[in-house]
Amino acid sequence: MASGAPLADMPALPDASEPGDAEMRRFDAACWALDISGVRTLIAAAAAGTARSDWPETLLVGVRIADVNQRTVHLVGPYLGRAHMIGRAAATFWPREGRPALAELIVSVAMAETAGTPASRTITSVGFIDPLLHVWRAPDDARPDIVYVALTGTPVDDRSLWALRASEERYRNLIHHLPTALLQVDSTPMSAIFAKLRLEGVDDIASYLDANPEMSVHSRNIVLVTDANHKAMRLFGADHPDQLIGSVDYLFVASPDTAKRVITAHFEGRRSYAERIKLRRFDGRLRDVELSVTYPTPPERLDVTLLSLEDLTDRLQTEAQLHQLQADYTRAARISMLGELATSIAHEVNQPLSAIVTNAETSLRWLSRDEPNLAKVRQLTTRIAESGRRASDIVQRIRGMAARREPERVRVDLNAIVEEALLFVRYEIESRAVEVSVSLARELPRVLGDRVQLQQVIVNLLVNAVQAIGQTGGAGRIELRTAKGGDGTVRFTLHDNGPGIAEGNLDRIFGSFFTTKDEGIGIGLALCQSIIVAHGGTITASNHAEGGAVFEFALPARGAA
Amino acid sequence: MSKPPLIAIVDDDDAVREAIRDLLQVEGLAARTFESGTAFLSAAEHFDCLVTDVRMPDLDGIEIQRRLRAGGSAMPVIFVTSSADENTRVRALQGGAVAWFAKPLTDATFLAAIRAVLR
Repeated sequence: MASGAPLADMPALPDASEPGDAEMRRFDAACWALDISGVRTLIAAAAAGTARSDWPETLLVGVRIADVNQRTVHLVGPYLGRAHMIGRAAATFWPREGRPALAELIVSVAMAETAGTPASRTITSVGFIDPLLHVWRAPDDARPDIVYVALTGTPVDDRSLWALRASEERYRNLIHHLPTALLQVDSTPMSAIFAKLRLEGVDDIASYLDANPEMSVHSRNIVLVTDANHKAMRLFGADHPDQLIGSVDYLFVASPDTAKRVITAHFEGRRSYAERIKLRRFDGRLRDVELSVTYPTPPERLDVTLLSLEDLTDRLQTEAQLHQLQADYTRAARISMLGELATSIAHEVNQPLSAIVTNAETSLRWLSRDEPNLAKVRQLTTRIAESGRRASDIVQRIRGMAARREPERVRVDLNAIVEEALLFVRYEIESRAVEVSVSLARELPRVLGDRVQLQQVIVNLLVNAVQAIGQTGGAGRIELRTAKGGDGTVRFTLHDNGPGIAEGNLDRIFGSFFTTKDEGIGIGLALCQSIIVAHGGTITASNHAEGGAVFEFALPARGAA
Repeated sequence: MSKPPLIAIVDDDDAVREAIRDLLQVEGLAARTFESGTAFLSAAEHFDCLVTDVRMPDLDGIEIQRRLRAGGSAMPVIFVTSSADENTRVRALQGGAVAWFAKPLTDATFLAAIRAVLR
């Protein structure tokens, strides 16, 4: 019969075309021919009582399958077929609980002086009712390295219960060696609690748990972890799997509210639930973990709820480092931008300082008169204070641009940001005789963002526009506009009358290191894009029908003006 | 008795404009302020001296001086600026400027220049 054939195609048992020798047909049962040539030494040691205590397991790993009949294939290896069973270790297919009995019988038969007579023993259930294990050598010792095995009794299930066991074994193996930490949890006690609560009319379990916090605590104690894999051991820093067996409570020590949500999802009949939690290891260290719960539904075993725990700590740390790197990079670009705008900034600061100095000198002149004019001095002192505050505001803004700080997400007014950005470039604009028209929408909704970064974007776009206009030599004009987009966005548009963007460059203008300037390194627009994208927005570049370039960005509106 | 001299001050910055006016006032000099060159030029004939900033959004100081000269005016022009740009300074002096001051002003020197011009 071909290996891997579906169960339905198997011939009825016993079959005339049964493979193997006559001994294989001695019992109307599942029969095996096992090759013991590789374990002679171990058999001798076991017989002498000098083998290690785990010798039965070792023996069955060393014993190779020489042949099996169809019934055995049916019971044990239907997914593999006979051809693939032959040559493999007996332990691969023999259920764990039956292994000591088989090993002992093999030793006794192998060491017996006379062959042919089966040694038999009743064994604990391996899928049969009253299973009886028979082991013997061929009567004439025609095949001295072969030991025959037959298992009689009534199969508990006509289908392959051993196969089921093997399948479970494979499942356990799989679970235990999965690279994800897994806990097998018996949450059946919750079923009784849920039934009782439903009887009492509770349908909003979340509110119920809020009102009865002791319920969550109780649940954490009665729901038990029944199995854990190697990865889970490592995640918790356990020395032994037993440390993880018992109440599930330890899982929620650092994230107690998670238990409520896990219970709620179960109560609501959801198939699975996942959230990111803080997990406290047994050594007290905290890890960031993605917890996923898969709740069983019939026909699955209802006592098997699987919890998987994916350790995200390293990934989150890398992300945080990347985030920091981006913030540093953005800041470096801002400082570089401030350097380029130094003349402009110096001018902005010098104006109020100039007014302060002149007002102070004028005050002294009023005071040094024979009859000091105190009213004038008071007025001038007021102006000095105003100009001082103005200078201070400018310095604050520059410091804000240069400071190392975490980008924040607060509700900001884009109109105010545009006006502040203009302050940084006003001198550039004036010195190049560029005419700027600003049209700010009234009652513009706020956006959620970082004021400094958004200012950086606008200053960058403005500086680019001023420089582009400088290439044309004509009268420069820049139009700035804010508007409420129809799609729940707030829009900023800059239109200049420079030479526009070459068609071939439109697609790559936001790419890193793209520049058309002799001295540019091409990070400005790439940075503008990354800032806008990080704000959940979009930025586009195009050419205006009447000439010049148009840069537009849209940000999600967050609330009223 | 002759009419007292009248000085025009052009600067787009309110605070600077008013500060210069007040400095002149304490010394008994009459001055009027303008926030743009265009506004000043429309009333230029009333003034005996012009104190102007260089960089401004409307007309810059050099252009105001050029238009005065083009209109036949010999009004003395004094530049007061934050800009340290040498080229602009040369252009201003070539255009007939009588003095060039950097902001912040040194009051005594500035007033001395004004008095010299008005004498």
